Amino acid sequence: MANRDMVGATSSRRDFLRVAAAGALGTVVGVPAARAAPTTLTFLHDSSFIRDFDAYFQNQLAPRYLKETGTKIDYELTSVGTLQTRVSAIIETGSGADVLLNNFNWPFLYDEKYVDVSDIAEEIGKAQGGWYDAAKEAVVVNGKWKAIPFGNIGQLMNYRIDWFHEVGYDKFPDTWEELLEAGIKLNEKGHPFGFELGHGFGDNHGWIYPLMWSFGAHEVEADGTTVVVDSDEMARAVDFARTFFQKTTLEDCLGWNDASNNKAYLSQQISCTNNAESILWVAKRDFPEIAAVTGQTLNPKGPTGKRFHILLPWSHSVFTGATDIAAAKEFLRWLMQPQQLEGWYASAESYYAPYLHGYDNAKFWTAEPRNLPYRESLATSHLPGWPAPVSRPQAEVIAKYVIIDMFAKACGGANTKEVMKTAQAQVKQIYGQPA
Amino acid sequence: MVMRGGWRVKLLQLWLPLGFFLLFTLFPFYWMTVTSLKPNAELYNTQMMPLLLYHPTLKHYVDLLTQTSFLLWTWNTMLVAVVSTAISLVLGTMLAYPLARINFPGSALIAFAVAATYLVPQPLLFIPMADIINRMGLGDTLTSVILTYPTMLVPFCAWLLMGYFKSVPHELEEAARIDGASHFQAMWRIVLPLCTPGFISAGIFAFTLAQNEFLYALIFLTKTDVRTVPVGAIAELIRGDVFYWGQLMAAALLGSIPVAIIYSFFVEHYVAGLTAGSVKG
Repeated sequence: MANRDMVGATSSRRDFLRVAAAGALGTVVGVPAARAAPTTLTFLHDSSFIRDFDAYFQNQLAPRYLKETGTKIDYELTSVGTLQTRVSAIIETGSGADVLLNNFNWPFLYDEKYVDVSDIAEEIGKAQGGWYDAAKEAVVVNGKWKAIPFGNIGQLMNYRIDWFHEVGYDKFPDTWEELLEAGIKLNEKGHPFGFELGHGFGDNHGWIYPLMWSFGAHEVEADGTTVVVDSDEMARAVDFARTFFQKTTLEDCLGWNDASNNKAYLSQQISCTNNAESILWVAKRDFPEIAAVTGQTLNPKGPTGKRFHILLPWSHSVFTGATDIAAAKEFLRWLMQPQQLEGWYASAESYYAPYLHGYDNAKFWTAEPRNLPYRESLATSHLPGWPAPVSRPQAEVIAKYVIIDMFAKACGGANTKEVMKTAQAQVKQIYGQPA
Repeated sequence: MVMRGGWRVKLLQLWLPLGFFLLFTLFPFYWMTVTSLKPNAELYNTQMMPLLLYHPTLKHYVDLLTQTSFLLWTWNTMLVAVVSTAISLVLGTMLAYPLARINFPGSALIAFAVAATYLVPQPLLFIPMADIINRMGLGDTLTSVILTYPTMLVPFCAWLLMGYFKSVPHELEEAARIDGASHFQAMWRIVLPLCTPGFISAGIFAFTLAQNEFLYALIFLTKTDVRTVPVGAIAELIRGDVFYWGQLMAAALLGSIPVAIIYSFFVEHYVAGLTAGSVKG
């Protein structure tokens, strides 16, 4: 605010420009709005694919908060693909929203611009059964809560129960090897798998990282510096992925984005994919006959005997440039109370799996029992890049799809050693280490 | 063009190429139309021929018009595109005319700078631009994009108009000066009317660029009621990994109609501008 005061005191030229611009165009397009008063807070969010979820906030929660506190909440929506651009612009320019939605590891990327909300997090955790460990992995930066976890958009196996049954599987295979066997049989019957290997935002990481981890491989050690892409475990994971892709999967998965597998599944081109609950949700709305034979289950176990899942957290942060930080924190505290949360979670039918144990047995979980694995998956979910701590180089490795591309190239037929060598060099370069 | 030979030659040299280009040009519109009229069950059915329409429905159009603010976005888009194009044409003319018609030191450098300005990519500019807009208190107003679009449209218009201005013979302007016209009058009454096709070309291109612009609109226009069509459609019809294909195609089709109308009105002048001076009158 001090900066703004300084600007205000010495900004005659800027004032002139503002008056000139408003004068010239104001009559046509309206006078520019004044900076938001402290009684209005802007809450930036991603357009949920469940329209009722956004409608619930707009029609229930925002009016309730206005009535209770006199503070108006502007619920600003943008698409998932453009959210980070909006957040980056707000962070860089210092204004635009007061409370921001984060995906993945953003609280770590923007932590200097986020207010410490540890007090709210601890209070909420104590009152509502405690936080899942996954919640802390997503938002606790250097011991401080830089966001309040909201919910996890789990990525699990979505499959056709009827087609698996046709080839002799009454329940979903428990290991990747068994899934490979099932996939070969299904492919022969004209029901291939479809796992994204393109440059989407979630469905590619959703299965590649868990597969890799279940083979005991990862790109950087927990120390955050030792690059271990070129390892025996990784070689086994890459070899398996190539076989899996070539024997079970539609070839055009190499160019898919996150919408492609939804479309392929709903058009009955594929028998299994890795996705959030959105496939079942849309199937129930538009294709009930497909919904009736769709199952959702945990990812298979790898040779280590363990199964893993990707952590795709939604969390809310208070921006240090908020018009009124205290008011923004108060809003976040109010939002996380059960009176607000239960209804909001329920409007999305558990799509956003709560990170609070207090909701483990909430009614919305029983509304669709097939969603229960998404709750179970929280115990074995990690951010991409795990077990290394989140860092800017790690974020760059993910943003540049180094690991995804390594697997995609191998699935396309490239030599395992070659792709691992290239990826190892790329990761080392990003981490500033000699090749 | 004189075409000799029978119908076979005409078919090969005229109708087949014409048919190919017609198909190439109209196919996206056909695809948008067909997709926007299909029910979801048909859109996702791979057993059905995707180019055909079996059970047409207007549901996607009804949903687009009733569940989103599409009409408001269209109004915003038109307003922004028309005003920013007008501003850019005026400023572009003021920039292009002296560079093309008057010799002064540094004119070549300025002309180069104009081209270079146009080439600066938007992703480099949007954050500093957003800072300026926020400091001016113009966030979430159409004024913000009306003021920022000319930063890319003025260099573009100026660059395009310089070529047209250079094509007008100096003798015409000199004759006007001898007859007593001032420099401004010579420009206003002689040179600019001769460059009408150039204004139409620059105007159409500027209008289209402004109408389609995405990044600045995404950053500066965050409220639904001030959004333009490209940003509104993306923000509200792409939800997570679920794309509302029917509504997206309906929005794309309806959004392209204004440009098609403008083109159809001005196409004769536009083509005349492109071919001006190619034959003796």
